[in-house]
Amino acid sequence: MASITMKNIKKTYEDNTTVIENLNLEIHDKEFVILVGPSGCGKSTTLRMIAGLEDITEGELYIGDRLVNGVSPKDRDIAMVFQSYALYPHMSVYKNMAFGLKNRRVPKKEIDKKVKAAAEMLDIESYLHRKPRALSGGQRQRVALGRAMVREPAVFLLDEPLSNLDAKLRTEMRSRISLLHKELQTTFVYVTHDQTEAMTMGDRIVVMKDGVIMQQDTPQMLYNHPQNMFVAGFIGTPPINFIDCVIRRKNDGFHAVFDRFDYLLPKRMYGSLSLYTDKEVVMGIRPDDIHAERYFLGKNGENAIELYVEIAEMTGAEYYLYATAADKKIVAKIPAGESVKSGSYMRLAVDTDKIHIFDKVSEKLICD
Amino acid sequence: MEKNIKKYFPVFLLPTLLSFVTVFLIPFLMGIYLSFTKFTTVENAEWTGIDNYIKAFTQDENFINALWFTVKFTVVSVITVNFFAFCLALLLTKAIKGRAFFRTVFFMPNLIGGIVLGYIWNLLINAFLGILGLDITYSADYGFWGLVFLMNWQLIGYMMVIYIAGIQNIPEELNEAARIDGASSLSVLKNITIPMVMPSVTICLFLTLTNSFKLFDQNLALTGGAPGRETAMLALDIFNTFYGRAGWQGVGQAKAVVFFLIVAAIAFTQLKITARKEVEA
Repeated sequence: MASITMKNIKKTYEDNTTVIENLNLEIHDKEFVILVGPSGCGKSTTLRMIAGLEDITEGELYIGDRLVNGVSPKDRDIAMVFQSYALYPHMSVYKNMAFGLKNRRVPKKEIDKKVKAAAEMLDIESYLHRKPRALSGGQRQRVALGRAMVREPAVFLLDEPLSNLDAKLRTEMRSRISLLHKELQTTFVYVTHDQTEAMTMGDRIVVMKDGVIMQQDTPQMLYNHPQNMFVAGFIGTPPINFIDCVIRRKNDGFHAVFDRFDYLLPKRMYGSLSLYTDKEVVMGIRPDDIHAERYFLGKNGENAIELYVEIAEMTGAEYYLYATAADKKIVAKIPAGESVKSGSYMRLAVDTDKIHIFDKVSEKLICD
Repeated sequence: MEKNIKKYFPVFLLPTLLSFVTVFLIPFLMGIYLSFTKFTTVENAEWTGIDNYIKAFTQDENFINALWFTVKFTVVSVITVNFFAFCLALLLTKAIKGRAFFRTVFFMPNLIGGIVLGYIWNLLINAFLGILGLDITYSADYGFWGLVFLMNWQLIGYMMVIYIAGIQNIPEELNEAARIDGASSLSVLKNITIPMVMPSVTICLFLTLTNSFKLFDQNLALTGGAPGRETAMLALDIFNTFYGRAGWQGVGQAKAVVFFLIVAAIAFTQLKITARKEVEA
């Protein structure tokens, strides 16, 4: 059990490419933190620096109260689960799990007890004497988790551990890892590029891009209050709609205007919007916040507009509507109960209360 | 489709089968047959039963000596060549400067022919021993270690390349996982690197074993068997018997058959043993 503190961390590779410029991150004891971002954003590098597999060019890294910049991986009291599982192919499952304890000269009896306990927890007792190649992907992943568990490390590092699994197994393993975190009461740092994994598992999500932390917050806060266009676009499927529009000041308040659209914005935004009168901004609206339901249209009729629906994708519980307005693609997500037809016009209304307004140049949030 | 394959099967098989039979199987069987005869040419062979084999083991102390010398040489060479080749491979897979250059340099001796190499080292060793007023034929020990040295010099680079390929094939995450698992460098070597390069070990052991056992040209060029026939290895001894001793062609042939059996036995056992230790990565 330990916290992790990264202070002004910089990482430059031998060929002088800097992947992380100035990273500051505090991970609390027993927290489940997810590092998420597109490939090349530096999330894996960050994790590998915590593990001690990559040198830190500048800055300070603390695990607990201890500065560990120069400490070798084995002395950091961490365990890591790799995307490729990295099981030792020539050792049985049992030996794979026992290897770390053996290296630390733990008595044989105790090793046996710990390995069997972990195996029971992960339902892999019956494979203990098999070699990894005789296991399925999901079983291998559980062995990799078990290998990390038996060591009872202060910090668990997981590097895209579910990427090699099929979709169904991934869902199952997601909840298994969440449960494991609750049972072990240990700090988890989890790297993924999959925002669904990030949203469903983490206490806190750190969204990274080009080696910079774009925002770190709880899943709900990231989804409802993204601080910039990158985070808004990265979190959520289908992704948020960005619509260029102009802020107009009218008698009844501030409006976001483009093409045939003209939305009266909520009063709480007026303070921040006064600087942007008659300027171009980007409006962000999530597909979930565009509605076709009758009760909503009845209440918000003034926000409804006829849109041409090119394609309506049926996903089961809901439709994804791909509509166009002034050459702009707009995606809406509506309940499957509505009557929808591809290639027809439909009345859709935006929930103006859920609009996010971003600065067009800095891409930062103005108000939401 | 399958019918057609069956129909034309002999047509495709014939060329290979024909060449296999004429250039391998017939000479091989004839060689075995001749080892049971007294002959000077293939036409005048007279059946003598196992006389040649008895002669080889009882009336020719050179053969037993050559056998013993070859075994000793093979054991020492296999161990030294593979040990040094593996160490070099370990060193040259680390991030050190000029490793591509060193890999090339270490591989180069393998490109020189055995006879040339034998003469070069004959000159070098004699020049060195000359300071002491000796030369390589002074004692069988000199010849033995001279051959071992030459064999190492020639084969290390080749085996090193095979080991390097094996080591580079080990996924980097395995080493990282082991480091996190608290393994020391020695433990990583013992528990990860060596088990993971077992396929390379199989190949290298096989190559060094058979190459050492069958060594001929380097032996001929470096010592020629001197002093006396003391440093003649099996192949050279067979050559000497066959071409150097009138009326002993049959004995030479019998020795060659024994030689073949030994090499085949070694190769098969060795492959069997090491194949069991291999793992799929």
